[in-house]
Parts: sequence; structure tokens; C-alpha cells
Amino acid sequence: MRMLIQLIITGLALGGVYSLISMGYSLIYKASGLMTFAQGDILTVGAFLGLTFYRFLKLPYIVALLLTMAVAFIIGFLLEKGVIRKLLNKNVNAIYIVLATIAVSYIFQNGAQAIWSSKVEYFPSVFSTDSVAVLGVNVQPESLLCIGASMICMILLHFFMTKTRIGTSMRAAAMDSMAAESCGINVSLNTGITWGIAAGIAAIGGIFIGPMYGVYVTLGSKLGTKGFAGAVMGGYGNMYGAMVGGLLLGLLETLVAGYISSELRNLFAYIILIIFLFVKPTGIFNEQAIQDV
Amino acid sequence: MLKTDGVTIRFGGLVAVNKVSIHVRKGQITGLIGPNGAGKTTFFNCISGVYKPSEGHVVFDGKNIEGMRPHKVNAAGMARTYQVINLFRKMTVQENIMVGMHSRLKSNFWSDLLRLPNQRKEEKFVREETEKWMEFVGLQDMRDHEAGSLSYGKQRLLEIVRGLASEPKLILLDEPVAGMNSKEKEEFDALLRRILNLGVTILMIEHDMKLVMGVCDYVYCLEHGSLLAEGVPEVVQNNPDVIAAYLGGDE
Repeated sequence: MRMLIQLIITGLALGGVYSLISMGYSLIYKASGLMTFAQGDILTVGAFLGLTFYRFLKLPYIVALLLTMAVAFIIGFLLEKGVIRKLLNKNVNAIYIVLATIAVSYIFQNGAQAIWSSKVEYFPSVFSTDSVAVLGVNVQPESLLCIGASMICMILLHFFMTKTRIGTSMRAAAMDSMAAESCGINVSLNTGITWGIAAGIAAIGGIFIGPMYGVYVTLGSKLGTKGFAGAVMGGYGNMYGAMVGGLLLGLLETLVAGYISSELRNLFAYIILIIFLFVKPTGIFNEQAIQDV
Repeated sequence: MLKTDGVTIRFGGLVAVNKVSIHVRKGQITGLIGPNGAGKTTFFNCISGVYKPSEGHVVFDGKNIEGMRPHKVNAAGMARTYQVINLFRKMTVQENIMVGMHSRLKSNFWSDLLRLPNQRKEEKFVREETEKWMEFVGLQDMRDHEAGSLSYGKQRLLEIVRGLASEPKLILLDEPVAGMNSKEKEEFDALLRRILNLGVTILMIEHDMKLVMGVCDYVYCLEHGSLLAEGVPEVVQNNPDVIAAYLGGDE
């Protein structure tokens, strides 16, 4: 029982980070109809930025978090405006844009290595205690922070998308960009903001996971493919599906690692991805991969 | 209200719209007719900013707007509907109208989140406005229905009020009665009159000759991208070139 509780908490913490990445994939897919490979590496950049603000500059945790989010937002926004939009304007095939994101992904990875470090950097703990007791089990307080904060991000994002003017216009632009334009919505600006938000939430995923995994250049690329798997499980393009899919994948993977073998966890995660693509490509939330006319 | 001067658009070697000059007068209903493939919708796209004309000028409300992006054209006071209905199908009727109001709202994320007083005021304003527009076309009982689930005719009506919700000076309607049932069609000229009474000028592409001849103050006829005839409905209707174009161009 103790072990199960322990695994569930660890699994949800990891799943929360997957969800943050998955939501970015879904937002971007909805807004641009594209897949990006840079999402995981933005998490890496976010982790290093957090490290810089929190460990090196000794800023308060919450300030480091907000600054990281803001910088990542700008990176995502500029990525859309400077690379994606430029290629779209050349009317190239979508696959070239996806390939360009692979290049961007490696630029981020190697850039992070050049700027920061090629070693595993430790991310100082956020709380003064090493463990807290939950239902009689000792857990790292950072994993609780990770679960709580990713939930808050999801709730905020939900309110942002459904209750605010910008969110509503973003959904409108994603559904029908031409109609949105003729309703007075600046679709190009909206798309940039979407990429910025996707980058911002991935980057805070980096800060949350830093204290548990350490910070290193390939941190995000591993998490990024898992986040992709989570997005597919939930229904690619569906924001809520991405949240659930990410959490579920983190949970299942951790249970496999705990009860069967930790060597099987990645194998298991990608087998689930393939099974979903074959059996239920529309995911848990039944998101239509092909738009109905 | 709206004047075009020699608007031309070429796609490669093909001239889709050739030197079209029209004048839409304030407070009138202007009709644009012509056989299929005459370039009517392409011409609409040149006016509303979807395409940039290769040549010519579009002057709206005293300003040159050719080549302006569609969202800027909307903000300048021109709304439009599409021949192929372009609603946000997965949003509710009310949300669709809310998006239509986009350019009139100012709220941002933090004021929405913190429910600041001006935000609550705006929310109330949005509720009242959307309510008003739903009643305008009799959709008030369907406010929470997904737009995609409405009948074809009701979708047309919703698209029109979504356009009107931006409080435009001019609305472009692209085949507004296509797909409507006979009752909706019959009520449509009354709706056009009510739109005019709001102070909104109308430019309309329509194939339904009974409607065009009944409500339009002035009619332009396009064929092969060029202006074939213009005038009050009776004159255009009896123009031999127009009759020939509609009957298949028998010389």
C-alpha cells in the first residue's frame, strides 16, 4: 500500500510535467496544424533559465518561475514569427516546417550546452525539508509542488481559453482562420501568442522537474517525446485530452517501473503510443484527427 | 460608402476580375449578380482583404483599403459572410456572436481573471448585446447549441448577426439565402430592411432573382470577371446582354 501511494505521487508529478508539454503540442496543432519537435527542448531551456534565476541570481522561487515563463513565452513567440511564419509565407510543404523544428530543437540543445553546462546541474530544493508525510508515506515536497502547480496551470489555461476574449479569439482562429480574420481577429498575432504560451508552460515544466531529475541538456528531449505520446493518448489537438493523457502516461509508466521493472518503462510508454495510434487514433477525448466538413 | 476603381486581380495568367468599378451608396442595398464563375466571390475577397487586387483601388468610407488585412478591414467597419458558411462550428451560437464582437471589446486576461469591475460591466454588456442579436434573427432559444448543429438556414442567419455584432457600416453578404427553406427566404427581405434600419449598408451577391429584383436599389452584373451591366433592377433585368449571359450566351 505504501509503495502504491509512493508510486502514484511520483507518477502524477511526472505526469503533470508530461501534461504541460502535451498541452503545448495540442495548442500548436490546433492553431497552426503543425507538429513541433522543439517543445521538449524549450523545457530544457526553461529548466536552465530557472536554474539561472533561482540558483545563480538567488531570486525568490516565484519570481524565477514567472521570469522563466516570460522569457520562454518570448522565445516561443519569436520562434513562430521568425521561423514558422517565414516558412509558411514561402508556401512550403508542412513537412519542411516540421523538419525546421528539428533543427531548432538541436539549436536549443546545443545552445543550452554552450551557454550553461554539459554536466548534470543540481537544482536547489525549493523547500527546507527533504520530505513530507502524505498518508503515512514520505515524499519529496517538490513532487507535491509539481502536481499542484501543473494542475493550477491547467485550470488557468482552461479559464484563459474559455472565459477570456483572447482565449475565445484563439479558439475561433484555430477553428476557422478565415472567418476569424473577417471577425476582426489578428490571426497571425494569435498564432504567435499560442506558440508563446506553449513554450511558457513547457518551460515551467522544466522548473518543476529540475529538483527531482537535475538539469541537463537532453532532459527535455526525453520528456518531449513522452509529452507527445500523452497528447496522442488524450486525442491530439484536444487541450483537455492532453492534460489527462499526460497524467495517465506518467502514472502508468511509474507503476510499470515500480511493479515490473524500471527498464521497461520507456518501452511500455511507446508501446501504448503505438496501440493508441492503431486502435484509438482519436484518443480518450475522441478528437477528430480529420476535420469534419 | 464603398467605391472600387478598376479593381483587377490576376492569378498567374488568368484574369479573374477585370477592371471592375462599382459604387455602393450609403443606406442602400446593392446587388451583385452574374453566372457561376463570373468572379463575384473573388471580387468580394478583393474588397474584404482576403486578396490584394493586382490593380485598382478600393475606397471604403473615404479610406483606401486595398491590400489591408481582413481583420483591419473589419475594424474599419466592414463585415462579411461567406458563400460556404464559415461559422465556428464547435462553439455555441452565443460564443459565435461574442467572437463577432471582438473588435469592440477591450478586456484582457488579468481583468477577466480578477473579475475587475470594468470587466463585470463588459461581461454584462456582452450578454445583453449577444441576446439582442439572437433575438434579431430569432435564435434566442438556441444560445447554447453548437453552431454546427443548426439547420442550414439558421446557420446563414447566425453568420449574418455574427457580422452585424461588430457594428459595421457595411456588410457584404455572399449568397445569403442559399440553403434557406422557403419560409426563411420569404422572411429574408424583411430582415434586410431591418438591417438597413440599423444604419448598415448592404452589398449582396445573390442568385435568387426574385429577391434581388425585389429589394435591391441598384444592381451590378458581372460576367467573366468584367462588368456587363449596371442600373436599377428593372433595367438590368431587361438588358439583352444580361439575359444572354444567363441563358448561356447564345449570340
